[in-house]
Amino acid sequence: MQLIVNIVVLTSLYALVACGYVLIYRVSRVLNMAHGELMMLGAYALFATASGISGNPVIALLISAVLSMFIGLATYQVLMRRLTGSSVLAAVLTTIAIGILIRGMVVLIWSPQPQYPARLLGLENPSLAIFGDARISMLSAVLIGVTVLVYSGLFLFLRFGSWGIRLRAVGQNALLAAQRGINLHAVFAFAWGISTFTASTAGMLVAMDKGLDSTMVMIGLKAFPAALVGGLDSLFGAILGALIIAVIEVLLIQYVDPLLSDVVPFLVLIVMLTIRPWGFFGTREQLDRV
Amino acid sequence: MRQQLALATILALGSTAAYSADTIIGITGAITGPAASSYAPAVDGLRIYVERLNKAGGVNGKQVKLLIQDDQGEPSKAANNAKKLLQDGAQIVVSASLSSTYAPIIAEAKRAEVPVLFAGSVCPKEVFPPADKLLFCTTAFTAEYDSRAAIDFVKETKGTNLKLALGAMAIPVSRGGIDFAEGYAKSLGMTIVDKQIIPPTAADYMPFATKIKSAEPDLIYSWAPWINQVRTFEAMRKLGWQNTFVTWGHLEAEEEMVRLKDPNLLVLGANALFFNGDLPIHKEIIAAAKAAGSTSNPNQLTEGWIAGLTIETLLKQIGSDNSSERIRSAMQTLKIDTKGLRGGPIEFTPTNHFRTTQYYRIYKWDSASNQITIPKNWFKYEIDPAGAGSR
Repeated sequence: MQLIVNIVVLTSLYALVACGYVLIYRVSRVLNMAHGELMMLGAYALFATASGISGNPVIALLISAVLSMFIGLATYQVLMRRLTGSSVLAAVLTTIAIGILIRGMVVLIWSPQPQYPARLLGLENPSLAIFGDARISMLSAVLIGVTVLVYSGLFLFLRFGSWGIRLRAVGQNALLAAQRGINLHAVFAFAWGISTFTASTAGMLVAMDKGLDSTMVMIGLKAFPAALVGGLDSLFGAILGALIIAVIEVLLIQYVDPLLSDVVPFLVLIVMLTIRPWGFFGTREQLDRV
Repeated sequence: MRQQLALATILALGSTAAYSADTIIGITGAITGPAASSYAPAVDGLRIYVERLNKAGGVNGKQVKLLIQDDQGEPSKAANNAKKLLQDGAQIVVSASLSSTYAPIIAEAKRAEVPVLFAGSVCPKEVFPPADKLLFCTTAFTAEYDSRAAIDFVKETKGTNLKLALGAMAIPVSRGGIDFAEGYAKSLGMTIVDKQIIPPTAADYMPFATKIKSAEPDLIYSWAPWINQVRTFEAMRKLGWQNTFVTWGHLEAEEEMVRLKDPNLLVLGANALFFNGDLPIHKEIIAAAKAAGSTSNPNQLTEGWIAGLTIETLLKQIGSDNSSERIRSAMQTLKIDTKGLRGGPIEFTPTNHFRTTQYYRIYKWDSASNQITIPKNWFKYEIDPAGAGSR
């Protein structure tokens, strides 16, 4: 039973991070290679806020969430907007540079020492007994709940929300969408904002649950195969991809060799790129355009 | 941030003033990058020590110029740093970085016949008997002796009739320590029920902890970078496992023990922790860190401070002749008074550039007194001068 709990927690984590890759790719065809770093920056935003408002976790979390969305909007507005119309490769290379910049900045500003925002906020993280002898930390349970909420919200938003419909329209045909009066820059910026917000939410929860340091970017890297395996333009695919990667990782650790858990997700990614490069639920036409 | 900015300023200005200094020491360390939490405080400690030394007039009337370079734990950057430091006239190169950076640093230093002092980074095998004539180490930890001390302590307190699980990170030095612990524990009659080698990129430690827990160990011993050790420990606790967890006391250990307040977390260390504040040297470090405006926690400056003590001892010993030849020769028989920061002095001999005796202490959290206590005070291991056995 503990294995199932571990799989669900890891799936939720990868899915929450992977949806950010999907949102940006779906709208702009850009692979955001700074996604892990933006996730970490959001978590550090919580740490900074918690240092200032230690007595009120709700306000600190709300401010950090808004701040993370602003970081995403600003990243697009200041850097990525200038690359509109340039090759996708130039945009991807820019995101790599953004990632390097964020990694350096984080150490300069907050030091390389591990930080514990939950402690600053006075939040307890008890271990909860569930289903027989299986256990889960309270914040891991919150992570599962938040992932469900985020995906439900995104599905509804993209299906029924006016901005959600604009996002889909731009994703399907940017030129036609622009001709119909949709402000492309606003839509792209919005996608970056939402993407950074979801990644930062994952980062904040991980930071409160396990602590925060610059190695958090690795989570972003490991969520990448999940997004690709599921299909880079499919939110449902991101969930499936996250589940596949999490199941493989947890079962390898338990039954084969923990070291393989680090390698096999990327092996799965390579196999998928070889036999079905658009992923389980991705669109072949869109990948061809990349 | 001020500490990082100060280091960055020194990085920018360091080389320009290099030639005006009487004795030049170069350091390449992981000041930034993923491993920085373990190494940046060592660099800062040495920086503060040298600044303080120079303010007091230097040694034998000569100032010490410290050139600092950040290698981010990357071998290519360490190689460039070593070249630059040597071009700028460094007479000793200090390394406070990942072991993966050692090869290029050693190669450059050997070409220039300049000694390398490993301070805060794991001691390479070449410093143990029969030692390489140019390589020296003052770092507290060393894979095999640490594991031997930990397993001996387990034997002393829990006996040998127990099920032991081991934890390491998937990096050569950590694996080496844990492989040694496995063999040594088995030779003492302990049963090894699990050995988890956790990748550095692990997103969640719960699956690893679940595997360890399923083996039902009586005790876990972990020797790895601090993040790996503490996350394994916390994951075990989240799973409800409450037995004894023995681990290595890295620079972060003191603050973390206070945070965790767990009486069954036993920390093996070679440095004297600051918690009881009874050592004059601790007060000196705290005052110097404050005066230097350092934002590093003073209790993490010990490794850098010991490197500073080593350099000061060396300069005192060589007197006014600070030629490279004299420095190389004096390093061979240096005896450093650690002033209580370790259980005894660090003594180099021509064939042993680690130390002749390694001292350990055990720390734990005491819930009754609500502070760290010492369940076992300094105990020692003589380093085999013939180079046989562990390192």
